[in-house]
Amino acid sequence: MDTISRRDLLAGAAGLALTSAIGGTASGQAARTPKRGGTLVGSWGGFEPQALFVPPGGGSSPNMTSTKVLERLIRLDEDLQFRPVLALSVTPAADFRSYTIKLRPNVKWHDGADFTADDVVFNAMDYWKPISSGGALNALVSAEAVDKETVVLKFNATVPDFFLKSILAGRTVTIPKHIYAGKEMMTNPANNLPIGTGPFKVREWVRGSHVEYVRNENYWDPQLPYVDKLVIRWWRDPASRSAAFEAGQLDFAVFNPIPAPDVKRLVDTRRFTAVTEGYKNTAWALTTYFNTQREIFKRADVRRALLHAVDREFISDTIYFGRAKPATGHIPSSNSLFYFKDLPTYSFDPDKAGKLLDAAGYPIRNGSRFTMNIVSAGWFEENVKAGQYLRQAFEDIGIKVDLAIPDRATSLKRIYTDYEFDMAISNNSGPLELAPQWTQSYTTSGIVKGAAFRNASRYSNPALDKLVDQYLVETDPKKRQALAREFQLILATEAPVTSLVEIVSATVARSDVRVAANYADVLGESWAHIWLDR
Amino acid sequence: MLTFWTFARKFARNRAALLGLLVIVAVVVVAAMAPVWFPRNPLRIVGRPEIWPFVNPRFPLGTDSLGRDIAAMIAHGARTTLMIGIFASLTASLIGITVGSTAAYFGGWVDEVFMRIAELFQTIPNIIFVLTIVSILGQTITNITIAVGIVTWTPIARLTRAEFLSLRDREFVQACRAIGMRDLSIMVRQILPNALPPVIILSSLVVASAILFESAVSFLGLGDPNVASWGGLIGDGRTLIRSSWYICAVPGIAIMATVLALNLVGDGLNDALNPKLNEG
Repeated sequence: MDTISRRDLLAGAAGLALTSAIGGTASGQAARTPKRGGTLVGSWGGFEPQALFVPPGGGSSPNMTSTKVLERLIRLDEDLQFRPVLALSVTPAADFRSYTIKLRPNVKWHDGADFTADDVVFNAMDYWKPISSGGALNALVSAEAVDKETVVLKFNATVPDFFLKSILAGRTVTIPKHIYAGKEMMTNPANNLPIGTGPFKVREWVRGSHVEYVRNENYWDPQLPYVDKLVIRWWRDPASRSAAFEAGQLDFAVFNPIPAPDVKRLVDTRRFTAVTEGYKNTAWALTTYFNTQREIFKRADVRRALLHAVDREFISDTIYFGRAKPATGHIPSSNSLFYFKDLPTYSFDPDKAGKLLDAAGYPIRNGSRFTMNIVSAGWFEENVKAGQYLRQAFEDIGIKVDLAIPDRATSLKRIYTDYEFDMAISNNSGPLELAPQWTQSYTTSGIVKGAAFRNASRYSNPALDKLVDQYLVETDPKKRQALAREFQLILATEAPVTSLVEIVSATVARSDVRVAANYADVLGESWAHIWLDR
Repeated sequence: MLTFWTFARKFARNRAALLGLLVIVAVVVVAAMAPVWFPRNPLRIVGRPEIWPFVNPRFPLGTDSLGRDIAAMIAHGARTTLMIGIFASLTASLIGITVGSTAAYFGGWVDEVFMRIAELFQTIPNIIFVLTIVSILGQTITNITIAVGIVTWTPIARLTRAEFLSLRDREFVQACRAIGMRDLSIMVRQILPNALPPVIILSSLVVASAILFESAVSFLGLGDPNVASWGGLIGDGRTLIRSSWYICAVPGIAIMATVLALNLVGDGLNDALNPKLNEG
């Protein structure tokens, strides 16, 4: 079927291409010259986006479709190195209150216009700061174009180097000023047919089916992209994605595209591979929130007691079929910068949970201690099962449970707008940098009625807020880690919001698909480095 | 007047209907005995996940992906299924007969208004209507029952109306009017008993479609997570269809058998109650 040729990697002109094979036999395939050409059909473990590009973010689906076209200034790789994309360098001043960005020369937008420093100034002030960064760039005061290829960002506070670069490698894609300036951003027709600087141009979006991209012949890196055509196609459910793989209709799919039990079956045929790299900068967890505004659950001793009733091993082994692991803190262990393994944990011990509740003043009376309602966000099938499991776990320690598993829209409303739950089961996710995405699920400023994935517990602790504020302006990486440890310690002890298990995300691909880069966020990168060994 | 024994004989002449009745009786027995045979909450995790049927005698029908006993869920699910079927059918019959008889008996603008309303309900795709009602009212078993009742009353209303139309100008009705009987008692005491047999047959079929609606709603994840349901079991097992297909197959067979049996019983009732088939 596939003719496999083994050629050594010619030390590339680009210099940053580290070939890592997607797949089991990585060692044998580590060094290969990527081949040009072919059509790559990609997908992910979710649905079609509302628009190909949604300016405030809009979740994983538009993130995936837009980032093939719209590029960022820099990108982050799994080795924690930032690589140049549209910016050749981002350098802090000595006081960390301004940063100088050197841009890549001779870059053109897909419509032929030049990409210049003016575009970056427009993005920084009119798009990144107010819309896409979610408040992370509030300290940004001005952006100035020094010349055509240099921009200086000025801040009214110190800004840590890793923090800013994370933002620039994260939610801040670069959009063309000449298309967006002076127009309503959300309703711009270009959102459905994005014009960017990226390796792929949108050719056609057939709604309900797929979007087709073609190679950008004028891309600033003439080597890239490797494939001629990229198709992103959507399927309604995981089982049909694995059928599509087997029928040869799908080459490469990210973020748990197929049912977990099918992964082993497909990989065993040796026609497919599954890897878990590429998710360091988008780690996901099964998260529980206690409603700290309710009578019973405003008490930390009750919250801690309930956590002792939960068998996290069972959740990861049975509900996730082993594709998850028990979490030992709020931040997933894949986060090599801010994960600390010595935080307080809650072992599975129903007897202890019962005793703690007795001590807290909730003994079993007339058959139960109290009644609680659990709302499990129905967007992942695992959440449905986790809800069913937690009900049983709490019933075992004498709590009556009323479980609701609403659809996506109702779940968002009940959990993040109406706060209508005693315990909510949801999914927090975030990059390596903790602020703002992780921190806003427990800081006081994170209590924003109606904003999804914020502080649904409405937990408010001035001591923790102060630590997070210090963390935001601390520029010494070591001290930042120390601060991060301190506020995670408070969080682990107080337990308003808890990661029960870390979800191990997987990419499934045909065994002849290779990725000549080690993306830290494979879903949100350009896929210019993917090639087909056919 | 049809006596019970002639009715039973006519019904029994249809062998398929008898078989259907047997299945329904079996389902009723299982539903009734569920708390005795499986005293524990059927949604409890009791064993290793994905044990195949007939492997472990403790779990004769195997366990699902969480390790819950499928036999217990089927037995308790039968209660849910029957409950929804019967109450949804009662709701639908109540609305349908009221609307249909009123429309036909009074005629004129009452008829116009009621039938336009019925058409309005008929134009909305049933399953979408059910899902809308359930997602607005909330995912409880009561709401699902009400929702199914609301979408399935229209055929009953139309049938009742047709029967009433053919009866309301008969001589016995005119005689009732002549002796000054009130409209309500003419409708309920005189016309309804004569119009009822075909309506009963249709109601039995509504039970079948109610079961299918509940299964579809649960399959799509909008069922009541606090009760065991056949459709919910199929929905949970869907992702494992390639490896552990029995999780879907066992409740699937249960639904198929029950719905088929209800249809067969409906046929049998038709044979027994339809006067046009009564000769011989």
